[in-house]
This record gives sequence, structure tokens and C-alpha cells, in this order.
Amino acid sequence: MVKVRLLQLGAFACVSALWAIVAAAGVVSPTALPGPRAVTVALGDLLAGGAFWQAVAETLRGAVVGLVAAIAVGIPVGLVTGMYEAAEESSRLLVEMLRSFPVIALLPVFLLVLGSTPGMKATVVFIACVFPVLLQAQYGARGVSQAVREMAHGYRIPRLLRMRRVVLPAAAPSIMTGLRLAATTSVLVSIGVEVLTTLPGIGHMIMESQQAGASARAYAYILTAGAIGYTITLLAQFAEHRLLRRRPPARAGEE
Amino acid sequence: MPWKPILRQLWLPALVFLILLVSTEGSASFYFPPLTEVLGALWHELLHGSLVEDLLFSLRNIMAGLALATVAGVGAGLVIGEIRVLRLATGPLLDFARATPTVGFVPVIILTLGIGSGPKIFLIFLGSVWPILLNTVSGVRDISPAVHETARGYRIPWTLRLRRVVLPGALPQILAGIRVALSVAVVLMVVSEIYGSPVGLGNFILQSGSSFHVAETWAGTILIGILGYALSVLLLLVEHRLLGWYHERAPRARAPRPIPTESVKSNGVVV
Repeated sequence: MVKVRLLQLGAFACVSALWAIVAAAGVVSPTALPGPRAVTVALGDLLAGGAFWQAVAETLRGAVVGLVAAIAVGIPVGLVTGMYEAAEESSRLLVEMLRSFPVIALLPVFLLVLGSTPGMKATVVFIACVFPVLLQAQYGARGVSQAVREMAHGYRIPRLLRMRRVVLPAAAPSIMTGLRLAATTSVLVSIGVEVLTTLPGIGHMIMESQQAGASARAYAYILTAGAIGYTITLLAQFAEHRLLRRRPPARAGEE
Repeated sequence: MPWKPILRQLWLPALVFLILLVSTEGSASFYFPPLTEVLGALWHELLHGSLVEDLLFSLRNIMAGLALATVAGVGAGLVIGEIRVLRLATGPLLDFARATPTVGFVPVIILTLGIGSGPKIFLIFLGSVWPILLNTVSGVRDISPAVHETARGYRIPWTLRLRRVVLPGALPQILAGIRVALSVAVVLMVVSEIYGSPVGLGNFILQSGSSFHVAETWAGTILIGILGYALSVLLLLVEHRLLGWYHERAPRARAPRPIPTESVKSNGVVV
């Protein structure tokens, strides 16, 4: 384990060194790629100021509101359509089409209809996140074995109870995957909306910094966005582990 | 041709389409023009406007960026997946790169490198290379050790081994990665064109939106949706051709319909 950590540190050092060399060699202009030192300094300055935390809070607020709404809608609809084959089959094509729609393309339309408001940001996040949650819930609900399904039917277990005690636990691992995907997506979409509109947040700060010629600051914001995404992934993996401990691991990893 | 399953899947989309058609008919709302008008605008722009040009520009950028990402991602992924030390060392770095939203790079790249086609292809590449790379790594890792040992035991040269053993073994995961990458690519295409571009579908919807040509805005949005869906269907067809052997091999493992975009292991992001 210690050896792996050392290896990872080494790889990190190599990449940083490579970055510094490319930036210093002047292959690309410093406005396109500032060096790691300048970015670190800029990040330090940002961490001390209030505007940075406000931007982070704005981005997260849009992401969380949209995500919560997506979970509240996606899980029940996914479970119900997963329980009944006819419902799944009927909605399959429609969901397929809606899911492959690049949500960010709705932005000009939403700007027209809803205007440039935080509610619009949350709505775009909601639309982007609801499909991964819905599909994973549906997938999980379909995984309930025939025997279990027939038994629940035979004992005439009421529908709601069956959904809560049979289908939901069976679908939990799959739902967790959906939540992990949706959580990363939510931040990504939130930032994407901010880049393209005047709504405050990390995305807007990146654009503003770059326009002001402070590309090191823009990179510091991008790294922050990466750190947020990475933290979400780690947290989701941790939660998955804790919640699903009673289950045997899907596969014995070597790491 | 079995008609019943097709009908069973088709009735709801058809119904939704009809409801939209009827409910917007004669609509006086400024923001929701009649669907017939939107479709008419789409048809008119495709025939007489420059929309075909926009479509081709966007399509070319997506294809070029995705092709570059596939070559780089699969190449690097095969190497990283095969060499254990490299895989362990780069794990967190790759996860971090994957989690960094590429949309953040859009202002940086476009403001410094310009509004032409090159920076957009670069952005699409930058966003779509990670899902392909990570899926390739995990695909290589999932090949049974027995297969690996056998190939090594027979001293099959490494180039041949990569091409005939490792690549086919990882192919299902690689293709799943490309599908995730495709949706990322479409998003980056749209964002980079809305942010700054003289042509392209993103520019079309932005321009018509800001000049309040609502029907055209909806028409462009629908066209982007059609483009995204058509590309994903195309990719599915390719996958069926390439993976016929894989789907035939394990029918018992296919009880529930496999989810098209992400296998559970690929931490793909669909936007």
C-alpha cells in the first residue's frame, strides 16, 4: 500500500514536471497554458478570498437542487417502470431518445423561456441527471429474480410494501451507480451553464478570469472544479461501500 | 419481421408526438410555437438556409475529435492496462483528469486559440479521451488471468498479443467507453459553438435564439437531438457487427437488457 502511494506520488511529480517543462519551453503561449507555479500561487490567493467560496457555493447550489429533484423523480419512476415489463417496453424508445439528447443544447431555448436565472440552471441540471438515475433504478428493479417476484406475488404482498422491501433493496446497488453518475454530471452541467450564461459560479469565474487575461486564475478554478468532481466520486464510492456492505463485492479487485 | 414488439415500443413516442402536435396547434404563445411551424422551419432551413453547412461543420468536428480520442485513448489504455506498475501509479491522476469538467476549458481554449475548427476538435478530443482511456484500462484488467498466462506461456510476441488477445478481450468495454465519449463529444460540440463560432449547430441555435426566431431555435435544438440519437444508433450498429461473438457467447448473462451507455464499472458521465 505504501509502495503504491509512493508510485502515485512519483507519477504526480512526473506529470507536474512535464507540465512545468512544456509551459516553460514556450511551446504554447502562457495565456493558453500557464506554469504550475503560477497556478498554485493563484489558487492560494483564491482560497484566501471570499469570491472564490461564493462561486463554489453557487455552482454547488444549482447542482444539488437539480440533483435532488432528479433523484425524487428518477428513482420512483425507474422502479415502477422496472417492475412492470409493459411499462418498461412502452417507455423504452422514448427514454432512449430523450436520454441521448445533449441537454446543454436546450440552453438557448431555456434562456428564451425561463431567462438567465438560478432556477433555469437547476432545471437544466435536473434534466441531465434524471435519466441516469431513472435508467439505473429501472435496471436494478428488473434484476429481481423471477422466483422472488413470484413469491411476493403469491403471498399477495401489497404493492407499496413490495416496492419498499423487495424491489428497492434489490435495486440498491444499481441505484447507487446511477447516483454516482448523476452527482458528477450535476456539477459538470452546472459549470457548463455558467460558462455560457452570466449566472454566477465557477464556470463564470473561469470565463471572467480568462477574459481579464488572468489565465493562471482560470486554471486554478478549473482545478477546483476537478477537485470537486473527484471528491464527489470518492464520496460516492465510499457511500456505496458502506451501504452495500452486506453484499459480497461484485469482483475481487487486486488493488 | 416481428411487428408486435416494435408496436409496443412505438406507441408511446407516437402518442407523445401527437399530443405535442395537437396541443401546440394554433398556439399563440411566443415561446412555444406550433410544432408544425417548427418542423416547417427545420425543413425550410435545411433546404434553403445554411443549416446543412452548420450540420456538416459540427459533424466533422465531432468525428475528428472522437477519432483522435479513440486512437489516443485505446493506445494509451492498452499500455497502461498491460503494465501493472503504470496502472497503479496513474490511477488517481486519471480519475482526477476524468472528473475535471472539460467545459471549464472552453473559455480558456477558445479565447486563446481562436474560434476556428481546430480548437473545437481539440476540446472534443480532450473531453472524450478519458472515458475511452479508463474503459480500455478496465477492459484490459478484466481479461481473465488464464488467458494472459497462456498467451505469455506460448511466448506470443507482444505486438501480436496486443492485437489478437488484449484488444479483442477489452473491446466490449472500449466500445462502451466510446459510447460515453460520444455523448460528451456532442455536448462539447454544442458548448464550444455557443461560446464562440461563426458556423455550426450551436451557433445556429444561439443566433436564432438571441434574435427571437423561436421556431428556428426549436428546430435547431431538435436537429441536435436527432444528430445525437442518430450517432448513438450508428455506434450501436457498429458494436453489433464487431461484438457478434460476444453477444452470442453468454446468453444466460443477458437476462436483463444491458444498459447501453455505461457498464457498471465504467464511471462514465452522460451529460
